[in-house]
Amino acid sequence: MIVHDNGVRFSRQLLVWGDEKQNRIAESTLLVAGLGGLGATVSQILARSGVAALHLVDEGTVALSDLHRQSLYGECDIGRKKVLVAEERLKAINANVRIFVHDARIDQKFCIAAEVDLVVDCLDNYNSRFDLYHAVRTGQFFVHGGVQASQGQVLTLVKGESQPLDEIFAGCLQPKGPIPVTPDSVFIIAGLMSNEILQTIFGEPKLLNRFLVIDLVNLSLTFLEV
Amino acid sequence: MIRLQFYGLLRLMLSGKESLELPWHEGDTVGLLLEKFQAVEKIPVTGKLIDEHGTLHAGTIILLNRRNILHLKKLDTQVNDGDVLALFPPGAGG
Repeated sequence: MIVHDNGVRFSRQLLVWGDEKQNRIAESTLLVAGLGGLGATVSQILARSGVAALHLVDEGTVALSDLHRQSLYGECDIGRKKVLVAEERLKAINANVRIFVHDARIDQKFCIAAEVDLVVDCLDNYNSRFDLYHAVRTGQFFVHGGVQASQGQVLTLVKGESQPLDEIFAGCLQPKGPIPVTPDSVFIIAGLMSNEILQTIFGEPKLLNRFLVIDLVNLSLTFLEV
Repeated sequence: MIRLQFYGLLRLMLSGKESLELPWHEGDTVGLLLEKFQAVEKIPVTGKLIDEHGTLHAGTIILLNRRNILHLKKLDTQVNDGDVLALFPPGAGG
């Protein structure tokens, strides 16, 4: 069966990463919180890369206004639950990845399954981001991403060692109304998030306790230590 | 000297300026530095960061030596020679 022949499936990336890093990917279970613009592309890249399992969390349904930037969904999915569409699409991409769907809003009661190695924040509001971070266990890696207009940021934290997310973002309130965003910026920032997630899986995070700030108007990448 | 660093959309507002240095004086605070910056650059930046009551606007993180000033003494936080003040309006969406 070609679909289960990982030697073939991953032959191009093995040339870059080699067996050891590919094995690390294959042993990793991640939780992706938020299946909007960033989460749709990040979860897709992780499934294509060959992770063991993905826990997907979102309570939303697909809307027409999502389609310009949310890469897992099409017109035929409008009105359907994002977690269920995402599960179908990710299984179609790589049936070997175990998918766990959580049709839920992240609040103070949210719990993260014990098997999750790394938590990915692709959420679209600060309250849920902070509640998610509170659910992270001590020593666990947490990769944050955010996007707005033509800019965004990626940051990696370790719970208990880094400054807490809600301290770093203290005072940030959710903007009123829809957040302006373009498809190109979402794909680029999701790509950079995925790169950092994979580097973290390899044990080599590049953005631990420092923001990568992406400005696509001036095409600049800058670091901000936290 | 105090280094002010600007990130993201704020940098666009400041015509692409990434950072600048301001001389440090005894008793300087974050609020005073922002006023000095506005006077030097003639850019109404404080209006984007602070409302008419002197309260910080939500939406821009102000970090003094990596610490959010909301966890220090906000605009009254004392600054010292060599400090780095970073102003970053993060992307809120996902």
